[in-house]
Amino acid sequence: MPPRLDTLAKGHELPPSAFELSPEWVRQYVAAVEDEAIGLLGPDLVPPMAVAALAVRALLERAALPPGAVHIGQEMTFRRAACVGERLSASARVVSRGERQGWVLMGIDLSVEGEGGPIMEGRATVTMPAAAEAPS
Amino acid sequence: MTMPAVGTELAPVVVAVTQEKIDRYAAAGGDGNPLHTDPEFAAQTQFGGTIAHGMLLLAYLSRMLTAAFGQAWLSNGRLKVRFRAPARPGDTVSAVGHVVRAESGRTVCAVECRNQAGETLVSGEAACPSGEVPA
Repeated sequence: MPPRLDTLAKGHELPPSAFELSPEWVRQYVAAVEDEAIGLLGPDLVPPMAVAALAVRALLERAALPPGAVHIGQEMTFRRAACVGERLSASARVVSRGERQGWVLMGIDLSVEGEGGPIMEGRATVTMPAAAEAPS
Repeated sequence: MTMPAVGTELAPVVVAVTQEKIDRYAAAGGDGNPLHTDPEFAAQTQFGGTIAHGMLLLAYLSRMLTAAFGQAWLSNGRLKVRFRAPARPGDTVSAVGHVVRAESGRTVCAVECRNQAGETLVSGEAACPSGEVPA
């Protein structure tokens, strides 16, 4: 059972998660987001937001979102296009954690590397009701 | 592909959001939070029903930016947004944007997702390297 996100302290690094951009998964993603634009650029290109979705998935695999958690902001910078078939490693680190009026506000840096180097960096801002227990 | 000039409206992306589409995104994105997929659970939350994933709305923005900027968006794009309100099944979401300035070799756009009532769901800025880029 992964730790709850709100119990993680600033500086906590979550272990990296590995993914493969399999043709089947990319097709499933492109169909789900109805992205006709990507296919016009090249048959092997992956929508950049698919990489971002994997970064968020990595976070959710390594830390459980408590009830009431809300994703309130997102920043991302893409370094290069990802290609179908590429293997990726996504990691996350808590860069800020504050508590005010019963709510926790956290900033989590996300990064995704592929076989050819960095693909994406970003930061998710998440808020959630404060739990009774102190952060570890 | 030529970079759009300041003031240019990007071609919008308009999508009818359904529970089926949210479920499909949950399966593809690996985010099975019941807030998105379980109407009974979601009815008990502050939202009163299921809502679309924020990352699904960003995918619609990305589709618009891919069409407008091509490889420049994929290879060197930046996006910074705030999620302001949820999209719900039955909503028609429009991803829109326009070029607001050119700075430091980048073309900067104001971008938004709105629902059919004109309510802003997501807002922020996107930036791509300026100049001629291969399509």
